[in-house]
Amino acid sequence: MAHPERIEPSIMHELATQVSDSRNSLWTDIRDNGLMVLNSSSFPSKKIEEWKFINLKPVSRTDFVHIEDAGTLPAIDIEKYFLPESDRSRLVFINGSYHEKYSSIGGLGKGVTVGNLADYSKDDHVKEYLNKLVNYENDVFSAYNSFMFEDGAFIHLEKEAKAEAPIQILNLYTDSSQAFVANPRMLVVAEEDSDVTIIEDHIGLGENRYMTIPVSEVKVKQRAHIHHVRIQRDSIDAFHFSRPIAYVEKNSEYHSYTITLGGKITRNEPRVIQEAEEVDFTLDGLVLIDGDQVADTHSVMDHRFSFAESHQLHKVVVNGNAHSIFNGKIFVRRDAQKIDSFQENRNLLLSRDGLVNTKPQLEIFADDVLCSHGATIGQLDPEEVFYLQSRGMTEEKAKEVLTYAFALETIENVKVESVHKLLIQEVYRYTKANSNPKVLA
Amino acid sequence: MSETKALESMIGEDYKYGFSTDVEYEDFPKGISEDVVRLISAKKNEPEWMTEFRLKAYRAWTEMEEPSWFNATYKKPKFDTLQYYSAPKNKPKLDSLDDVDPNIRETYEKLGIPLDEQKMLSGVAVDAVFDSVSIFTTFKEKLAEAGVIFCSISEAIKNHPELVKKYMGSVVPIRDNFYAALNSAVFSDGSFCYVPKDTICPMELSTYFRINNMNSGQFERTLIIAEENSHVSYLEGCTAPMYDENQLHAAVVELIALDDAEIKYSTIQNWYAGDEDGKGGIYNFVTKRGACRGKNSKISWTQLETGSAVTLKYPSVILQGDNSVGEFFSVAVTSKRQQADTGTKMIHIGKNTKSTIISKGISAGNSNNSYRGEVKISKKAENARNYSQCDSMLIGQTCGAHTFPYIESANPTGKVEHEATTSRVGEDQIFYLQQRGISEDDAISLIVNGFCKEVLKELPMEFAVEANKLLGIKLEGSVG
Repeated sequence: MAHPERIEPSIMHELATQVSDSRNSLWTDIRDNGLMVLNSSSFPSKKIEEWKFINLKPVSRTDFVHIEDAGTLPAIDIEKYFLPESDRSRLVFINGSYHEKYSSIGGLGKGVTVGNLADYSKDDHVKEYLNKLVNYENDVFSAYNSFMFEDGAFIHLEKEAKAEAPIQILNLYTDSSQAFVANPRMLVVAEEDSDVTIIEDHIGLGENRYMTIPVSEVKVKQRAHIHHVRIQRDSIDAFHFSRPIAYVEKNSEYHSYTITLGGKITRNEPRVIQEAEEVDFTLDGLVLIDGDQVADTHSVMDHRFSFAESHQLHKVVVNGNAHSIFNGKIFVRRDAQKIDSFQENRNLLLSRDGLVNTKPQLEIFADDVLCSHGATIGQLDPEEVFYLQSRGMTEEKAKEVLTYAFALETIENVKVESVHKLLIQEVYRYTKANSNPKVLA
Repeated sequence: MSETKALESMIGEDYKYGFSTDVEYEDFPKGISEDVVRLISAKKNEPEWMTEFRLKAYRAWTEMEEPSWFNATYKKPKFDTLQYYSAPKNKPKLDSLDDVDPNIRETYEKLGIPLDEQKMLSGVAVDAVFDSVSIFTTFKEKLAEAGVIFCSISEAIKNHPELVKKYMGSVVPIRDNFYAALNSAVFSDGSFCYVPKDTICPMELSTYFRINNMNSGQFERTLIIAEENSHVSYLEGCTAPMYDENQLHAAVVELIALDDAEIKYSTIQNWYAGDEDGKGGIYNFVTKRGACRGKNSKISWTQLETGSAVTLKYPSVILQGDNSVGEFFSVAVTSKRQQADTGTKMIHIGKNTKSTIISKGISAGNSNNSYRGEVKISKKAENARNYSQCDSMLIGQTCGAHTFPYIESANPTGKVEHEATTSRVGEDQIFYLQQRGISEDDAISLIVNGFCKEVLKELPMEFAVEANKLLGIKLEGSVG
């Protein structure tokens, strides 16, 4: 931090300058705004506290190309990724571009608008909120998204509207020989007393390298409820930088669950910002990584008004050479009294070469609060393994069962049945693949 | 909210060590340069290798940048106007207590530090450091009988160069950080303690630091070496007069524990904290680190931090030896506009190493209290174990409590647990005690003492009494 004023040229900036200024865009102001940040911000390095533990060299050394559209999809069975519950409430984006033919948006009932942002550029809500909520200081990734995105998911719920089915936002990334950058975008505005469940799915179709920068802005108005599930199943060589931010108003509820499974480098920065008293929010996460994967979660729960209840359970299983990083910030601002906030970070380190960094962080400026956090890093309890063995399980099986149970807790609250099942399968697949009898040796 | 006021006034209790002593000082140029460093070394008649050590540190320091990563804002010290050496003028070589300047003796008496061996019942050997210079060390003979060397670091440089040469800078290298480098260049005096093999130090050792001179910085250096199978307990206390200017205190403490040795280091830090508006007070930028070099060795830090305008202090333990143990017990109380950023580092390197961290932060007034800690289990640290607990208590609505724990584990057999809570003194708790006939002040004192109990019980007897009193004074009459 010697010379914070010195700007290191960033690859995001270089990429942006390759795009001709005359490109026709619906989002001129947002674009300019993004470019301004790109011009004035450095690419993060380990010298910056917030990026201390993550090595971004693989990202900055990759030659990325612009990809306007992936064109036609290879002949794959895209339907297998469709959720049965969202049969008529689905938006499909391929490499960040909207694909109407795979999407289906008929079945959400009165007062619910779902569609491609590009088709709603004149909508008052889009004008009012798009790019107004995203707030990441000097962040080249979200700035690049703002500069580049054209399509995106738009969800609006009128007062008292209840979405009749969960909305699936399916983001697919193609198996391309060139490393491309995708910029998925989402805006959700839930008016008073509305209710919606959103399943955001990111799936890499190959094992190729690409970068995706999903930015989502969520506004939860008075007494509205949002249940937001984010599943990251990117390709094993992909970079994923997500910035989901939610603003919660009086008596509203926002519950978010992020499941990180894929990607080579994942940096997830969820933020929840309290805008009025009496809110309830959750920011849970499950990370299952192996091989050379790096998964980094930097979350912020910002309590600005009194009477909030907030929870964060972040569970991590690390195997192989994988590296997990967690920094969970809980802020309680001055005069935000009667806050009940609880944060828990549990890490299961299964391998010799794995690494876990965690930094749960409390910053409290009000006295009448109950805030606590706990963080643990450890192994499966040998006594528990022994107990299961005494019941006739092999050691391998016992460990598998315990790891599975460890991970399961975080996804219990996901209330869409098919998603819940899918996640259970994913957890099972991971624990099966990672039940290594030599682990405790 | 009368309770809040009550507690706040309790914390805002006047600083009773704020007097200054009229002593004549030797003239010494202000500012820092290679010549000043040479001059300090010459004044102290130091051997060539020591001068070189200082110069190397000074050159390193000039290349370093002042850190700013901590959670505190303050006016940076002006290094070029500071006086780096300050010694009372009348300072012949002291053979008996009678030779000490009566003014200085009076100062220590006022502070309640027994320099007079005859009057001393507590059986604590004291090394008194006044501004930059060690004034007197008590009980030298008795300690010598046991083979324990306890003297000022200047004497140690003269009389035991081989020990100083071997260990100084081995735990805190001169380039370790900005303030450690500065200290290595200009340190004036401090305490030295060497406990030989198979020796249990017969009494508690103690250093009392006093900053008197207005524009001087205090840079002491403490080095404690515990040989195989030895044991020593060391106490440190600090006070300073009230001046409007900020004074800098940048000490370095190095502890070395060899096989089966144990060092217990306790601090009561009560430097002047500045006034209500944050004017004046000490900058307490201290580097304290212990190395558990030997097998089964143990280093334990206990601190009660109540003073200083700004505190940046992280007493750490490097757990190199197998089965070694590190402990950190801390109570940090901040009020007025004090800022404390304090915590510890536990670096697990050896097998079966264990560490415990218990930190209690109490913030009141307009103060900010941060816990910053690092626990690192390195790849080869088999079966390492850490338990950390950081509790914060907030009193009033204008203070802040922060927790920044860095935890890293690279070994699957390691086990790390960290928990932290933030809460306040509950009205219901006070009400309960009051309806049992306990006055409000006593109730608060009881609750706060209970909150800190785990740490206070770690303090040696001599300090425990003082600590309880100090907490009482600091917190008298203030709760929310």
